[in-house]
Amino acid sequence: MVPYDSATSAGSSSGSSSSSSYKPPQQQQQDIDRLLAGAGYKVRSSELRQVAQRLERLEIAMVNSPADFFHLASDAIHRNPSDLASWVDSLLSECTQPPTCPSEFIMDPVTNQAVVNNAWTTTEPHTPQVHQNISFEQQSLNHQLTVVTAMEEDSGIRLVHMLMMCAECVQRGDLPLATSLIDDMQRLLMRVNTVCGIGKVAGHFIDALSCRIFQGFGGGPVNGGSAYENEILYHHFYEACPYLKFAHFTANQAILEAFDGHDCVHVVDFNLMHGLQWPALIQALALRPGGPPLLRLTGIGPPSPDGRDSLREIGLRLAELARSVNVRFTFRGVAASRLEDVKPWMLQVNPKEAVAVNSIMQLHRLLGADPTRNSPIQTVLSWIRSLNPKIMTVVEQEANHNQPGFLDRFTEALYYYSTMFDSLEACTVQPEKALAEIYIQREIANVVSCEGSARVERHEPLAKWRTRLNGAGFRPLHLGSNAFKQASMLLTLFSAEGYLVEENEGCLTLGWHSRPLISASAWHAVPDAAAEIPAWDGSSTIISRAES
Amino acid sequence: MAGSNEVNLNESRRVVPLNTWVLISNFKLAYNLQRRPDGTFNRDLSEFLDRKVPANINPVDGVFSFDHVDGGTGLLNRVYQPSSQNEAQWGIVDLEKPLSTTEIVPVIVFFHGGSFTHSSANSAIYDTFCRRVVSFCKAVVVSVNYRRSPEHRYPCAYDDGWAALKWVKSRTWLQSGKDSKVYVYLAGDSSGGNIAHHVAVRAAEADVEVLGNILLHPMFGGQRRTESEKRLDGKYFVTLLDRDWYWRAYLPEGEDRDHPACNPFGPRGKSLKGLKFPKSLLVVAGLDLIQDWQLAYVEGLRRSGQEVKLLFLEKATIGFYFLPNNDHFYCLMEEIKNFVTSNC
Repeated sequence: MVPYDSATSAGSSSGSSSSSSYKPPQQQQQDIDRLLAGAGYKVRSSELRQVAQRLERLEIAMVNSPADFFHLASDAIHRNPSDLASWVDSLLSECTQPPTCPSEFIMDPVTNQAVVNNAWTTTEPHTPQVHQNISFEQQSLNHQLTVVTAMEEDSGIRLVHMLMMCAECVQRGDLPLATSLIDDMQRLLMRVNTVCGIGKVAGHFIDALSCRIFQGFGGGPVNGGSAYENEILYHHFYEACPYLKFAHFTANQAILEAFDGHDCVHVVDFNLMHGLQWPALIQALALRPGGPPLLRLTGIGPPSPDGRDSLREIGLRLAELARSVNVRFTFRGVAASRLEDVKPWMLQVNPKEAVAVNSIMQLHRLLGADPTRNSPIQTVLSWIRSLNPKIMTVVEQEANHNQPGFLDRFTEALYYYSTMFDSLEACTVQPEKALAEIYIQREIANVVSCEGSARVERHEPLAKWRTRLNGAGFRPLHLGSNAFKQASMLLTLFSAEGYLVEENEGCLTLGWHSRPLISASAWHAVPDAAAEIPAWDGSSTIISRAES
Repeated sequence: MAGSNEVNLNESRRVVPLNTWVLISNFKLAYNLQRRPDGTFNRDLSEFLDRKVPANINPVDGVFSFDHVDGGTGLLNRVYQPSSQNEAQWGIVDLEKPLSTTEIVPVIVFFHGGSFTHSSANSAIYDTFCRRVVSFCKAVVVSVNYRRSPEHRYPCAYDDGWAALKWVKSRTWLQSGKDSKVYVYLAGDSSGGNIAHHVAVRAAEADVEVLGNILLHPMFGGQRRTESEKRLDGKYFVTLLDRDWYWRAYLPEGEDRDHPACNPFGPRGKSLKGLKFPKSLLVVAGLDLIQDWQLAYVEGLRRSGQEVKLLFLEKATIGFYFLPNNDHFYCLMEEIKNFVTSNC
């Protein structure tokens, strides 16, 4: 069977079409849907859903408004029909009612100032005083800007309201109304600044909702993208904001303390990525009074396609660094698509060594309960215990994104990610910021549009993890005031005003203003006998064995 | 416009891939803009919006094409051929030698769809489709640029089809096999399928051999409203109202849909009993609102003692063959391939 997929001389595009919106600039050509290219249309795969919605919108508009239809048929100017997205947009714009904003200007004939109608002013006394010797163009520009701000605030609130309504429709199963809300929101979005603020995060939520609604299209893996892509996005997220740096720093500090006095230590990293966490630990161990221990690092990560062994490559680089600071070091990579596929024997833990298990945002992925299998979280926690680790460092998103009710989850996510996006504004470096946003956007998409085993971003708050880990036979290790002080200091060095480290019963959280967004905690396993006894943990109530 | 204000958008979304949905919805929208309620057609807008591609004498993915004008009729035909194994031959069209002296190479005369009104032989969707057929079947395809309605009504399309058939049969460079003849099949989708039928009838009556007919959801109709038309009206991209418009634009003025061009086995149709009519491959899309007419056509062929194979693709919509992103497409290609190579 010959899948014929190249266009004719009119233009052939290579590369696969994928739903990922992350493409380095030179690959943007390859995002064009090649099958539509063969039909003479250039549409980016990432835009397909939007184009589809706008086509629907046009159809509805034409059916409901024959006047619009006749206008489009006879007078509308059609530009470049090959660029389907633009063609549809231009028709749509000829169809829709013009925004009311401009007509709200009135010129005061006496002072020659443009005065903004009361309906559009913001809460602050607003009309800028414009001196008469400024040209008319400058005046109207100022006022256009101010009116846009007013509109934005208004539109921003409307967007949030519509998002909630739409999510509620989705929960109820009222897909026609949800779809219509999506269209309305997208049009509203066209009038809102999507470069920052509510416009940006709203756009991602609208996309995620629409993906969920249009699932009949087989929207493609939302968690999509190759492992390679994910690593790059993760790296940029690491650079653009302090959350991962905080996580690594805090965990390393705790691991360092736990390894005190041990000559053979073994770190098991549940998600190696580019191994960003480990150079600092290696260097700290090198400087240890009494000399560094023998360090083993076992890095778990997804298998690499195309014959590369990316785990090994990272291991080699870390080995090189260790060698340069005289730390005896060995690395082992364990390739697994899912954490629950890892078996403890793969880690080859030596009974004489001190083991640290390091999980940065991995445990929540095990919470998708398949009723036919043993709960993965229980399985994994149980074998972690069997390794008898000196310490297990756990970093998780401080959010409640695993609630069964869709609307609850959606609402929670909207606030969580709005806050996170706000905090990202402090970063101005590109392309770190843009790619970090895509990283976050993928999380949003997973939380909102996926279900079942596809939904891996099942974040739960610290309180729930405490219950769960206690029930699985772990006890908290207090992170200590040292860690807190150092984390705060780290923040002032690296980040902007607004980030806040807080201490929460021996755990640390990092957040934006008053909202914690990420938590770091440390644990050790207790011997079996003790695990049977329900734990009394300071201020919390008595808990029983956790059901996962 | 659509008779009912109800817009049934939900159903079509769930049965086709996203890019197919975008493609066909785009056509639907564009065509709506081109048809005028008074029966006239905005040909300028239509030509502007239609994506066209030039022929290419250089092989692309094993297929090359060139345009040829029939000196007698001024009709344009676009010929698609598999490229030679010998790279030295690429970029050269030989109009002297036959396709082969040993093997049989089927020549498929293809009539593109468009409800008699839209598209051309050089429309991108049809150019691409013909190339795929060549690729899969190792056949030659000749795509006919027949005259369209409403500017050219019945019987222009059939006349052009007949002229193209005669032209093809008389090209020595389209001959193949040990007995040096043109192994010709007729094929078409939608209105093209309708044209293929009528040209085949004319050929049979004139004792001109056609080895087979491939009708891809052919456009037939009739005065009464069938069950499928009522059930599927407006649900999968097509409405009864637009079907009516196209028949009014094609059939002679004042005629109704029981005209034999539209309804060949209807009250004014004629039997094909005893006629040396080619075997037929009928492909029906299960979500096509005019399927009852297509099934009636199958019945009509059978009653006339003619050989017909029905390929009923239950979950297919019209235009499923434009993009190779679904099972129906590959199933269709297999069937066509078997059809044109079976008795050679």
